[in-house]
Amino acid sequence: MPTITIDGEKYQVDGDQNLLSSCLTLGLNVPYFCWHPEMGSVGACRQCAMIEYKDSEDQSGRLIMSCMTPVRDGGIYSVNAETAKEFRGSIIEDLMTNHPHDCPVCEEGGECHLQDMTEMSGHTMRRYRGTKRTHRNQYLGPFINHEMNRCITCYRCTRFYNDYAGGNDLQALGRNHQVYFGRQQEGRLQNGFSGNLVEVCPTGVFTDKTFSAHFVRKWDLQTAPSICEHCAVGCNTAPGARESGNGHDPMLRRITNLYHHDINGYFLCDRGRFGYEYVNSPTRIDQVLSARNEELIGSTADTKDQLHRQVNPRDGVLHLSVQITAAQRKLRRIIGIGSPRASLENNYALRQLVGLDNFFSGLNRLDQHLLQLVNNIHSDNRITSPNTPEIETADAILIIGEDIYNTAPRIALAVRQAARNRQKKQAQDLKIPLWQDTSVRQLEGDPSPIIFIGTEFTELTDIATTTLFESPERVTLFTQALTQEISKSSKQSTEISPEFQKEVNHTAEILLKATNPLIISGISSRHLDTLNAVANLARVLSNHRKVPTKLYLNCGEVNSLGMIQLFNEKEGSLEQLMESLSVSDKEIPTSLIVLENDLYRRLDTPSVEKLLSLVDEVILIDTLLTPTAKRANWIFPASTTAESQGTYVNNNGLAQRFYAVYEGKGYIQESWRWLVDAVDFCTEKSENYSVLRSWKHSTDLSDALAREIYTLKVLAEIGPNEDFRIDGLKVARQSARYSGRTAIHAQQHVSETPPIKDPDAPMNFSMEGIHNPNKTQLQANIWSPGWNSNQSIFKFQQQVGGERKGGPSGKYIEFSQHSTQDSNVSEETSVKPTETSNNLQMLPIYRLFGSEELSNQSMSFSEVIEAPFILMHPDEISQYDTQEGELVDIETNCGNYRAEIKGSNTIPHGCIGVPFGLPGLESLAPQIPGYASLRPAVTPAISEEQ
Amino acid sequence: MIASQIRSMWLVFKHLFRRNVTVQYPEEKPYLAPRYRGRIILSRDPNGDERCVACNLCAVACPPDCISLQKTEDPDGRWRPEYFRINFSRCIMCGLCEDACPTYAIQLTPDFEMCEYDRQNMVYEKEDLLIDGPGKYHDYSFYQVAGKAIKGKDKGQANNEAEPINVKSLNL
Repeated sequence: MPTITIDGEKYQVDGDQNLLSSCLTLGLNVPYFCWHPEMGSVGACRQCAMIEYKDSEDQSGRLIMSCMTPVRDGGIYSVNAETAKEFRGSIIEDLMTNHPHDCPVCEEGGECHLQDMTEMSGHTMRRYRGTKRTHRNQYLGPFINHEMNRCITCYRCTRFYNDYAGGNDLQALGRNHQVYFGRQQEGRLQNGFSGNLVEVCPTGVFTDKTFSAHFVRKWDLQTAPSICEHCAVGCNTAPGARESGNGHDPMLRRITNLYHHDINGYFLCDRGRFGYEYVNSPTRIDQVLSARNEELIGSTADTKDQLHRQVNPRDGVLHLSVQITAAQRKLRRIIGIGSPRASLENNYALRQLVGLDNFFSGLNRLDQHLLQLVNNIHSDNRITSPNTPEIETADAILIIGEDIYNTAPRIALAVRQAARNRQKKQAQDLKIPLWQDTSVRQLEGDPSPIIFIGTEFTELTDIATTTLFESPERVTLFTQALTQEISKSSKQSTEISPEFQKEVNHTAEILLKATNPLIISGISSRHLDTLNAVANLARVLSNHRKVPTKLYLNCGEVNSLGMIQLFNEKEGSLEQLMESLSVSDKEIPTSLIVLENDLYRRLDTPSVEKLLSLVDEVILIDTLLTPTAKRANWIFPASTTAESQGTYVNNNGLAQRFYAVYEGKGYIQESWRWLVDAVDFCTEKSENYSVLRSWKHSTDLSDALAREIYTLKVLAEIGPNEDFRIDGLKVARQSARYSGRTAIHAQQHVSETPPIKDPDAPMNFSMEGIHNPNKTQLQANIWSPGWNSNQSIFKFQQQVGGERKGGPSGKYIEFSQHSTQDSNVSEETSVKPTETSNNLQMLPIYRLFGSEELSNQSMSFSEVIEAPFILMHPDEISQYDTQEGELVDIETNCGNYRAEIKGSNTIPHGCIGVPFGLPGLESLAPQIPGYASLRPAVTPAISEEQ
Repeated sequence: MIASQIRSMWLVFKHLFRRNVTVQYPEEKPYLAPRYRGRIILSRDPNGDERCVACNLCAVACPPDCISLQKTEDPDGRWRPEYFRINFSRCIMCGLCEDACPTYAIQLTPDFEMCEYDRQNMVYEKEDLLIDGPGKYHDYSFYQVAGKAIKGKDKGQANNEAEPINVKSLNL
């Protein structure tokens, strides 16, 4: 480790880093703009100037750009030398000459890196009296606001957007001091990581448009560590909320990235960043609702839909408790349906209430089996699940049937970095440090091998060395052949064509040659055989290489892998529930408690109708008015991720706790609290109920889970309980400069009310308590004196770009470790064409905006979610008497759908790609991969009403 | 001892010929300088538009946290407070809000007569705070010096601004 001297102090630093990041790691304040810990140095802004002295005799030294300087053992440097300070001051003065003096009306103000650096460099008085150059702004879509006048030309935006995230529609246009960062034409930024521009831009050129609609300054946001609920990657977020003050409800205002070294690092995807608005959506349930019985004269609702009215929450809880009492007396059967988007605690409370026999996952059989298979694969000690930095360093990646850009976007960004690994290797061979970004990118290294086989591979085709678009059956075949090739098994499959075998051999060669190969797959192709084949491939590869194979499996929803821990093998699917209901005693009435789940997205519509007709009462605890809510007799309002505490398990098996950011609106509370409240009213005595009654804090449930379920025993350790104190204090959710405390509610009552108490976490809903994120990771407000922007995260890392101080948050759940038998493909679930004329196989395709249930309800998403469509091979479209862009009717066994037909070369013949969960086609999703037929849409003649 | 008593009597007697210190308030009002820190108002710019751009700096500068507001954006591009509230029962008339205000919108006035029987009446909303004139600063208009375009003032039309650059030209 080199030793360097900075301003007379000796330090030991990491020799692989440049001088700037070494200084920052040491906690020294060196101003910078263009350097970014994840994107390296380009030396464009000249702001990080320091003095380097030749030796201890040297008095004057020379100016160097610290971001472009490798640390030299024994080097003598100065940050605070007068020449360096003067130089930095003059640079910032030059950068500021054209700055438009609009901080008060800039969304970045108060968390602006430019403000911080100007302050730090001591430029307080403007001397420039000339004219300022101005630019016109562009419309960049519903997420990002553009204000080009504020630009200081650091090039961070294009370096992130083009070089790091692989976008191609944001360019540096113009020349000299007129450089313009924008699109060639106005329009939405197409890349799914565009939201990071808001955080990457050191000033306010790119700001969050959704945040601006209900804007408050950073210091006025109340925050807590949270987990993004829009996919299963488990990115850490810091949602910001604030009361409204004008008689409306408190609101979730925005989502920002919360650094987690092993998952999201510095970046989030746009679904995660902008999908939060569903929390404030008008379809949000915030009251207890009960179906009304009175006859209506006229209504636009479907005949089966229930019409609800608000009731006193107490009445709802009493009703629920009556049902529970009846169940205890064996006069009623209560069935619980859990959900992969509900926290472990909520699922567990329901399981505890109804008993394991009456608890079902809310997934169809296929999904349930897929998840259980994933769980089994994880328990194999020949397979490990790689985290993001491990994915970024893989030197060969095989992606099987998973369109990661749309299903696990943050992983796609990691894969994009892995594509540069040969280039990086070459740079290392040439002794070019990796932080020398431009130099490394100019090397003509081959791209690292990335092989994709599957249906659709959005946004990553430019980095893939081989892409094979095949049907799931052929994907399975490919994987099996690859397994045979690697295991050198003599059993040759006869079904494989020579070209296909060539690809297999090529891939096998790459995987065997690689020192750090990685396989990515998941459940989203909805094909058990494929997943089985992938597992076998990973096992064979591990046998061959004698080290566990890195296999990343995407599980679809935020808590899929966690929820599946609550079920026994091959149990818990909705089909099983139907079977159990159809044979059960009809004398005893049945109640169904549905927990945060929309059954119409899980089962085809006729089956859901049948299921609902088999029960006497439907009780729903959920956040949004879903189709299931329309059929429920009672609805209880549940809190969303940002309003509650709980635990999610991500794709890696990392159990992470999220904390309530704010109290929410109406009568919402965590689902488990509704159940416990009902049990509290219950008159029957039972051991089980006294356990439920004893739960007062969210951590009580976590501890109970840890005791009861072996694989989840880490839950007892992943976060402190509500008694935890630091120096006798709780953690503050509000910043020390939270404003308006004595005015925000003054129009209702001039005397202040005490802040509400959090029963679950050692955190205050006020500014009292610990503010320093170095003291606890429960503090999500990343701020340090002089560093108001999110750049201040380096003050809370062990080294720049490293782990947070205090270690990583979250703990890996313990899959029961055993070396399972190589599973053979034998499942009854593979779908065959039925006797009807439906002959087109539906393949699931995914969209970043549109495939996830909750984010679809965000206001800003309405502009970016596509209208219902299906994809078909262009050659085949004409066979159906239609053409691209026309509407077609999709006929399935369970109903007809209308969608636009689009051509896509990636869809195999005889198949159609159906967007999973897209609004308008949600209820088609459970039927995938079933069969359908097409015919041109005939618009029904509109009968003129007199 | 007797001398002391006589001295006291003399001093008291002398005051018979001094000018009265007591002012007959409220019939008689004392002079307060224009810079006196009294009741807070929100002013308008010379065109009669609200000066406040809802930047929140007054709220964050306020030691007793008695200012609260919410930003909203008008169709003409101006930022404006959707509501603006000062809880005068908490206000300490320190004037830090005025110091913090980048647009001269919030100003303290030489009026201190703010008595109420009900504390709730000390909560002033924007309607109560907004006056019709520019207050102490007659000519300042924030949007004339800021580079953000609003309706009626395009890019390049603020003070000291060059014409917007056409990126598609050569720009020599």
